[in-house]
Amino acid sequence: MPGAKRLIPTYRGTDTTVCGGAPVVIASQPGTETSPDIDIEEKLREAFARGWTVVVWNDPVNLMEYVVYVFKTVLKMNEQDATRHMWEVHLSGKSAVAHETREKSELLVHRLRGFGLNTTLEQS
Amino acid sequence: MTCENLESGCWRLGFSEPEAYFLVNVMAQLASHYREDVAQLSPPQRAYWLGRGNLPPGTMPRQSEVQSAEELLAGARLELRSERLALAEKFLREFKAAGKHDPWNIDLDSAERDEFLAMINDRRLLLALDHGIAETDMDTDPSQIENEARRAAIFEIYFLGRFIFATIGPQLYRP
Repeated sequence: MPGAKRLIPTYRGTDTTVCGGAPVVIASQPGTETSPDIDIEEKLREAFARGWTVVVWNDPVNLMEYVVYVFKTVLKMNEQDATRHMWEVHLSGKSAVAHETREKSELLVHRLRGFGLNTTLEQS
Repeated sequence: MTCENLESGCWRLGFSEPEAYFLVNVMAQLASHYREDVAQLSPPQRAYWLGRGNLPPGTMPRQSEVQSAEELLAGARLELRSERLALAEKFLREFKAAGKHDPWNIDLDSAERDEFLAMINDRRLLLALDHGIAETDMDTDPSQIENEARRAAIFEIYFLGRFIFATIGPQLYRP
């Protein structure tokens, strides 16, 4: 639609770089306009930046063995890492268990909370 | 209670008759809880489902982007209640349909098995929230607790913990 505001602008033949230098080429589409006001490179960098931390907090009821099982199942940790984080939660009151993009962090928080672990999201 | 990994990739949970009756009672209470409108739940239970759990005050971040993510997550978390209600009803239906209950078996796929674990844990956490059970209470001999309802809640939390151990079975970490 001519003159309509696009939520995600497309750039003709524009290369942009995210995630440590990997080029992302956005294909040109006929009839689309560039929007110089929006810094797409910055937006993409934000979207893919691992600037979100998933924190699990201690609670009086969850079993140590259950927490290890959940870390292995949801976070795909090996036994050693899952056990280390479980002890950190138990002894220090909390543990940062993942540093991810916002989308991935939200998914992990959702799944960890689904298993009943006290979990919060923090922005670095 | 036993938990057997079947060749089909499913899991067979086996219960003695007393365990089966106990579990079905828990499932009936969970089903009733999941059916209830979240707005009607007690404040600690509502906080549990809206994502705060029993976190101490001041532990929730203040940044607006995090708050918007939290709102999104709270909405997604509420959807779990209807999924868990369906599984609780499956337990109740199969128990009713079974001719005998000693032992009583129920087969679950892997996703249902994880959901079962999470539901058992829901019940443990909700009991703890309702009765204000803290870490020190869990270190106390339950028979020494005078308040009958509180004592029963702690016994139930322990007993459900045995179900969690049995369900995780060979994947169990032993500290």
